[in-house]
This record gives sequence, structure tokens and C-alpha cells, in this order.
Amino acid sequence: MTPWPDVRRQIRQTLVPGSLAGLIGGIAFGAAMVELGVLPTVASLVRTDSPLIGFVIHMAIAAIVGSGLAILLQGRWTAGDVVLWGVAYGAFFWFLGPITMQPLILGRLPAWDLAAAQAAYPSLLGHIVWGAAAGFALVAIKARSAFVGTTTISDPEPPQARLVGVVLRGLVAGLLGFAAIGLLPAGSERMLSPWGADDAASLGPLAVALLGATLYAVLHPESTSTAGGAAVRGAGFGFILWVIGGLTLLPVLRGEGLTWSIMEARTTFPALPGTILFGAAMALIYHWLGRLTRLFFSDDVGTRSPDAGSWGPRAVGRGAAAGLVGGLLFTVVMVQIGFLPTVAKLVGSDSELVGLGVHLVIAEIVGVSYGVLFRRQAFEQSAAIGWGVSYGFLWWLLGPLTLGPVILGTTPAWTVEAAAAAFPSLIGHLAYGAGLGLTFHALEARYSPWWITRTEAEAARMARRRIEATSAGPALWALLVLVAVLLPVVLSP
Amino acid sequence: MGVSRRSDAGLGAGAGVLAGLVVGVVLAGQGRLDWTQPLRVDPPIVGWFAFLILNACGGALYGSLYRFQPGRLAATVGGGLLFGLLWWAGVWLTAIPLITATGPGWSVSEAARTFPLLIANVLTWGLAALVFHVTGSQVIGDRAMTGPVAATGVRIRHRVVIVGGGFGGVATAQRLEQLLSHRPDVAVTLISESNFLLFTPMLAGVASGSLVPRHVAAPLRATCPRTTIRRATVETVDTDARTVRIRSSNNTAAEEIPFDQLVLAVGAVPAFHGLSDVAGRAFTLKTLADATELRDHIIGLLDRAENEPAADVRSRLLTFAVAGGGFAGVELVAELHDLVHDVLVYHPRIERDELRFMLIHSRDRILPELSDRLGAYALELLRRRGIEFVLGVRVTGANGDGVSLSDGASISTETFVWTAGNEPAPLVGSFMSKGGNSVLATDENLRVDGFPDIWAVGDCARIPDSDRGGQPCPPTAQHALRQGHQAADNLVAAMDGRPLRPFRFRALGMLVVLGHNTAAAEIRGLRFSGLLAWFLWRGIYLAKLPGFEKKVRVLIDWLLDLVFPRDIVIAGSQDARRRGKGGPGGGLQEAVHDPVA
Repeated sequence: MTPWPDVRRQIRQTLVPGSLAGLIGGIAFGAAMVELGVLPTVASLVRTDSPLIGFVIHMAIAAIVGSGLAILLQGRWTAGDVVLWGVAYGAFFWFLGPITMQPLILGRLPAWDLAAAQAAYPSLLGHIVWGAAAGFALVAIKARSAFVGTTTISDPEPPQARLVGVVLRGLVAGLLGFAAIGLLPAGSERMLSPWGADDAASLGPLAVALLGATLYAVLHPESTSTAGGAAVRGAGFGFILWVIGGLTLLPVLRGEGLTWSIMEARTTFPALPGTILFGAAMALIYHWLGRLTRLFFSDDVGTRSPDAGSWGPRAVGRGAAAGLVGGLLFTVVMVQIGFLPTVAKLVGSDSELVGLGVHLVIAEIVGVSYGVLFRRQAFEQSAAIGWGVSYGFLWWLLGPLTLGPVILGTTPAWTVEAAAAAFPSLIGHLAYGAGLGLTFHALEARYSPWWITRTEAEAARMARRRIEATSAGPALWALLVLVAVLLPVVLSP
Repeated sequence: MGVSRRSDAGLGAGAGVLAGLVVGVVLAGQGRLDWTQPLRVDPPIVGWFAFLILNACGGALYGSLYRFQPGRLAATVGGGLLFGLLWWAGVWLTAIPLITATGPGWSVSEAARTFPLLIANVLTWGLAALVFHVTGSQVIGDRAMTGPVAATGVRIRHRVVIVGGGFGGVATAQRLEQLLSHRPDVAVTLISESNFLLFTPMLAGVASGSLVPRHVAAPLRATCPRTTIRRATVETVDTDARTVRIRSSNNTAAEEIPFDQLVLAVGAVPAFHGLSDVAGRAFTLKTLADATELRDHIIGLLDRAENEPAADVRSRLLTFAVAGGGFAGVELVAELHDLVHDVLVYHPRIERDELRFMLIHSRDRILPELSDRLGAYALELLRRRGIEFVLGVRVTGANGDGVSLSDGASISTETFVWTAGNEPAPLVGSFMSKGGNSVLATDENLRVDGFPDIWAVGDCARIPDSDRGGQPCPPTAQHALRQGHQAADNLVAAMDGRPLRPFRFRALGMLVVLGHNTAAAEIRGLRFSGLLAWFLWRGIYLAKLPGFEKKVRVLIDWLLDLVFPRDIVIAGSQDARRRGKGGPGGGLQEAVHDPVA
């Protein structure tokens, strides 16, 4: 076969859809640019300040970048994964585009300092919006091809019935996730304030939560990951919900305009931890509802995933051991920042030794939960690090920022100032997560490397499972860690 | 994965340096490559050089962790971006401040100060990942293994066959799974007549109806999930051709299984010492089928006895005799005593006085493995309950009316259980026909004498116990387990040309349950009896039971026993009589009941 048909097929399958998706994303981003009045800045790349030329340049860049997204996503992906990759791609393109290339094209060295990042903060949100829109567009454009689809085995149930079931599960998961956040003192108010809900009983934010949960469910009709993977995925979705819903759509619908400035971002930041935790809780509940549905209502017994051999106690034991290793790594950070007495306050003490004991107990409990939730999730060390640091970040939100203050009798500390003050703890949690993930993976590898198979049938099953387990993982981990380290720094006064 | 982790590391180092060069130009232009100044190193070129060295190290780490994976561009680049963020936190916020003695920079203000390096690292490692992937595609390409699932197509270089699915065989297989988990070129096959590992210490509980049969057996395929399980009878072992001939059932053709290393863990079968009539009439307690059949038989006898008018026939129906005063026999007679008395309430026409439980033993004291004191305690306790002991005599024959003894007496019974001795499985005899021995003698490394590639563990082997002056190790499950473990270690060591280690094990202790919440135990010289020993027995054996699920099920069985009466449903045929060694599951039997696992 001559190379020319291959090239034409490549162009047809990737560049054209990618460019189209990029253009659609560009329209969404472009609308925001019009609102923010920054199109002349784009036009300055060609030494003019015409908004129209700025828009044209912006759309051209959007098409090119969109092609890059399509090239990156060659192969088979689920709808949810495509959107997630789009957002991550857009977020990281912010580093390359406005922060780096734009100054270079204008004949300046990129500043890369905090001031430049803060000035370009609205552009970061714009890139995330672009990524989400381009992702959705790519899903829609290629939905008919083999590009997008679920990776589950066939289900004899008709598509409409499946969709109804998926939406129902999403609604229930959204409701329960929302209720979980509402259990926290002032949790609802903190999470909902940027969405105009001074009254926690207002239905508006609940509607947004349910809508978000339904969207998540439609993007992930079949949860093929572990419970832990689902929770991390939900956390990423929660962040997207905060940007698209809380910072973009809701203010626009209320006629207030985009809330993308640094000042406004500081005001809306309190919603972010709650929304991420809502996303995680919602996704976890959705995952379990999916398993219950398959258990009770599915006639296809093949959808159950049997794993030979006893698993529960081993996962618990390995999680405990991994939690200890991660906890010891974290202890180094704790000692450095003098945080042990604060931990000791959880049990009414001031002693560093007591704090160390409490810290290690917590590390063990979290480690056990990791073992149960992420058992057989990580195929490689890189995946183990990814899931581990993501889980560590989640626990940073849940621990020092949420449950810690609640146990000590106050409300969740979901402000920028609190996040900035807890930044060293974030480093510790990321280190804990990396140690946790790597150690757990090493224990699985040593005693039951389930990914090494001995028959072709097993190998094929493992290969399918590996694709399912890892498709959007790298994007998800990178996005969460970016959110974790970037926002407290950029938004801190 | 790449062809080796080292090559991936090298590729990563190169990609890191290349990306560092590109990004470093911008950093240098911003004047940010002066980070070596706190170390009092002035020339800027040193900062550059150090930066590139750092990137090379980071690249090597990235390459060895993330590995080249063909066709996974998105994952590679995503991994690079994550690596960049973590590299910034780990190196620039932590390691470098520590080295330059300024302390870790974990505060937001420090993060803000090093913010340019955050951007630089994201761009560097995103670019490095892209270069890594593109270069890897050109240099390694299809030679890379596609991910960790790579066992297909691996040539099998070594075949290990284990015969016997008892404690010794399963322990060997499990240990080999651990040792060979990353060596798909070694194939391990376990051949067993049954598809489960029977936990023999609890077999008496099955016979007495206090445990569900399936709950004391662990499926081999679940216990050894990474071992090839073949359910078949082994007919012969050909040491010259190095094959094992197996037959899956009577209707299938025999199959030859080749081996490079063979582990024999075939256990023992009841020894009837030439008493063929006893072999034909007696029940045994070696398999689950034995235990359930015995239980069904006893409950069926109670049904018959209730309606039997003739006194002599009733007496025969309600007399239960057990031969063998060791752990198996004593536990069994005590459990049967509990069973019959517990269900007597359903048979109002049978009086307690009509029941007879008898233990026949050739020596003057029972439980010779325990101390005199505990043996006497057990004897006295069971006598007080009404169990009769016929000591110092042997069984000489059995017929439809009962058993005859060496002192001329006879016992009229329809329930005669034989637990008076074991011998190695018949396969051992045929295997050793060349040597003329009926037991597999091994050296202290568990190798069968004269056969360097054949190992033997468990009851079928005579393994010298160096702690007891070379005397054979006792036939207990705790020994078989450790022997299996050691055999696996030595087998792999032999494969790899490493020195072997002799088997050394000192028994932990012994426990015997005496029915009705009592037991006797000796653990490391400490003696226990009564209720405390009973709790010890239950706790230790529950912990030793293979599989968490089975532990939960047995625990539930025991808890239900506290509340509900014993089930007297007869599930199988109550008329079947044991045929001794030739019955179902015969030939390759599990290890003899042992006191402590």
C-alpha cells in the first residue's frame, strides 16, 4: 500500500475532526474572550489590535491545537476520557501558549513568574473551557466511528433503557453526593456561595449538582475502573464542574458575566474543595450503584469480574503496610513544618508524640482504604504513582481542609488563605500518596503480579482491562496535581 | 515496556537533556540558572551543566518508571506532565533547598518564588516525554513488549510438576507462585484427584455434623490461582523418560505429563496391616466423602434403631466402635458421642443407656504424642462421659456382625471406624519398586535419594529430622506445610544453581479436641486443658484454615451451633459402606489428621 492513502486516512481520521473540534472549542473560548475584552491582545501577535483579526487568529490557533488533541487521542476512548483529556490538554497548553509562546512571538522572553501567571489566570480558565468544549465536540464528531464508545462487553438491553438507567443512577448519585457535602457544618453554604445560594435550601445549586452528576453518568455509562479510580475521576470532574458550571455558565446565566479575574477567583475558591469532594463522592456512589445494578438487574453474568483467589484481607494488609511507608515519608514533612502538635489536638493533646501516633494511625486507615479501593488498579509503577498522588491530594482536601477543622469544632477551611497555609501539608500528602501507591504496587507485584499472565486468553483479558483502567489516568493525575499546586499559589494574595 | 529498563532509562536521560537544553535557554535568558550560587559555585556555565545533569538524572528516572510503551502517546505525555509537577515539588522545593542548606521550601511563598521553575518543569518534562516517545518509536518500535501483559509467546524453559493436592503439595505450589511470579518461562502444574485442599483437622467436625463439608475444603484453583491445576489420577512416574502418566477418568485415555522437576506430595492412605476383612467393612476418616458418609450412616442407624424391636439388633445398631487411640480416633469418638447425644432428642424411643461408644487401642495409654498427664486427663474425661476404652488389644477381624479382638472378645456393631495407622499412597510403592522401599527416603534437603530432580514432602516421605538425631519427621500437617515451603525454595535454588538449605523445623505443639467444649493442648511445653484449650484449638485451627471466606463460614457454623440444634438431614446414601482404600478419592489421599497445623 502506498503511503499516500495512509496520509489521507490520517488526515481524515484525526486532523479534520480535531480541527473541527478545536474550532468549536475556539468558539466557546472566543465568546469568553469577547466578554473579557482580550481579543486585541491576541491580535497583537500580528502587530494589530483589531478584535476581529484577534478572533481569526484565535480560531486558527484553536484549529491547530485541536488537531494536536486528535493526534494525541488516536485509538479507542470513552466519551468521558476524551473530555478529560481535552481539559487536561487545554490546561497544560496554557503553559505553552499564553505563558511561553505568546511573549516569544512578541519578541520578549517569557516571564514565567507569578505575576505573569496571575495576569494570565483568566486565560487558564479559558483554555480549560476550550478543552472541555473541544472534547465534547470530538466525542460528537466521532461518535459514529469506532473512536468513541464504551469498553464494556455487550449488554442485550436496548440503548434507550440503558440511558434511562444511567441517568437514574446519576441522579441518585448526585443527590447522595450533595447530601454528603451537606452533612458538613456550613459545607453546603461554602460550596454553594459562588452559585448564588446563600440559602442552602435553595434548589438552584441542587439542580446544578444533579445536572453535573447526570452529565458525568452520561459520559461514563459503565464504570470499568475500581472504586478508587472512579473517585479520582469524579474529583477531576468536580474541578471541571467548578470551572464550567460555577465560574462560567452560572454567572453568565445570571447576567453577571464571567467570574474569571483573580479577585473573583479568590471569592469563588471556597466552592472548589466542596465541588471536588462532591465529584469524588458522587462518582464513588455512582460506581457502587453500577455494581449493584449489575448484581441485581443484569442478566449478563459475564459483567461480573471474578478474580481468582482470596483478595480482601490481602488488600487490607498491603494497604496497611503501604500506608505505613507513606506515613513515614509524610512524618518527615510533618516534623519539618512542626505540624504534629496540631494533629495531636484532634485527640485533645499538645504532645508531638501523641501527634505522631495519631498521624500514623490516620496514615494506616487511609492506606487500608487505598488498598480496598485501588486493588489491582495500577498496572505499572507510573500508574501507581499517579493514583497515589491523586488519592493523597483528595485526602489533603478531606483531611486538613475539611475534617480536621470540623473535628476541632469549626467549619471546613475552604478558603484560599487556608489552602495556602496548608500548602506544606499538600506537599506531604503528595509525598504520602506517592509512597503509598508505589509500596502497594510493589507488594502486589511481589506476591501476586496479576498482570503477568500465562495463557493467551488471560493476556487478552488483561490487555482489555489495562486499556480500561489506564485510558484517562495520566490526564486525570496531571490535572489534579496541577490544580493542587497551581491554584493555591496563583490565587494567594 | 522497553527491551530493558536500562535502555528506557538511557532513552529518558537523553530526552531529559534535550528538553532541558530547549527550556534551559529560556531559563538562562531569565537569569534563573544561578541556582548553584548558594553552593558558592560562580561560573554560570556550571549552573547550566548542573541543570543538564539534573535533567539527565530526572530523565533516567522518568524512563525507568514510565517505560516506553508503543502506541500510547497520550499516556506518555500525560505522564511527563505529572512527572514535571512532582519533579518541581520533589527537587526544586525540597531536595535543592535541603542541599543548599536553606531548608525545604514548602510554603506558598517559596512556591511562588520558584513558580518559574514550575512552568519550566511542566514544559521540560512534557517535551521530554514527547521526545522519549518519538525516539522510542524509532529506536525500539515493535521490539518493545506491549505493556506488562507479556507472557504469551514466552518459551517454557522449565516444567515443575507437583503430585498431590494436600498440605505439602499446596504449600509447594503457593511458595512457587511467589518465587516464580515474574518468571513465566517456568510452568508449574499441580495434579490432584480432588479439586480442593482438605483441612483434615476439622474432618471429625464434619463427621459429627457440626461443620458443613464444603467449609473445611479450599478450592485448589482459588488457593493456587497461578498454578495449572490438573484433576486426574497419577498412574505411574517414569523417571527415565521424566514423565508422569495421568488419567482424568476411567473413560479417558492416559496422558503423559513431562517434568524437569517433580514434587511428590501424595500423602498416606489407611493401613489395614493385612486385615482384608477389616478393609472391606470399616469406615475410614480420610476424605470429605468418608466424613459425610459416616455421619449419614450414624443418623440412619438411629432411625433404624428406633423401630427395631429385637434387643440384640438394637444393641448392634447403637454400638459405635473406633479403632486407634491416636488423635484421629480420640477426636472422632468424642465427636460421635456428641453427635448422637445431641440428636437423641429426635429419637424418643432410644434410651441413653442403650448407646455404647468404644475406643480400641493396642497400647495401654491413648494419645501417645501427648504427655502422660494430658493423655490420662483425656482418658478420664471421656470415661466419665461414658466412652469405653478397650486398651492393650488389637482388632483381628471384622464381619457383618461386628469386630473380633486379639484377646478373643468381639464387639457387635454396625459402625466400625478404622483410624489405626497409615501407609504411603500406592503410587509411592510403584515408584519405589526399583528401590524396593515403600516410603520415599529423602535427604535433609527433601530430595529423594538417588533422584536429584525429584522431591518429596509430607506423609509419603521419610525426611530426616536433624533435631531428633535423624529420626523421620512426624507425619503432621505443620511439618508438611513447612516441608512444602522448603522444597519450593530448594527447587528454585537448584534451578538457579544456588546452594540448597536443609529442612529444619521444631513442632509448635499439639492440640486435641475432646468434644463438648473441652480439649487438651501442649504448646512449647505449656499444657492446657478444658475450656481454655478448646478455645485455643478453635482459634488456632480457624487461623490456619486456608482462605478468609472459609474462616468466616466455619466461624458462622460454630456460632450457629450455639443457637440451633444439629441438622439430622441425610443428604447422601445411608446404606453405603466404606470400602477402605479402593473407594472414591482413594489412592492419592490427603495427609493424616494431625494435631496442630
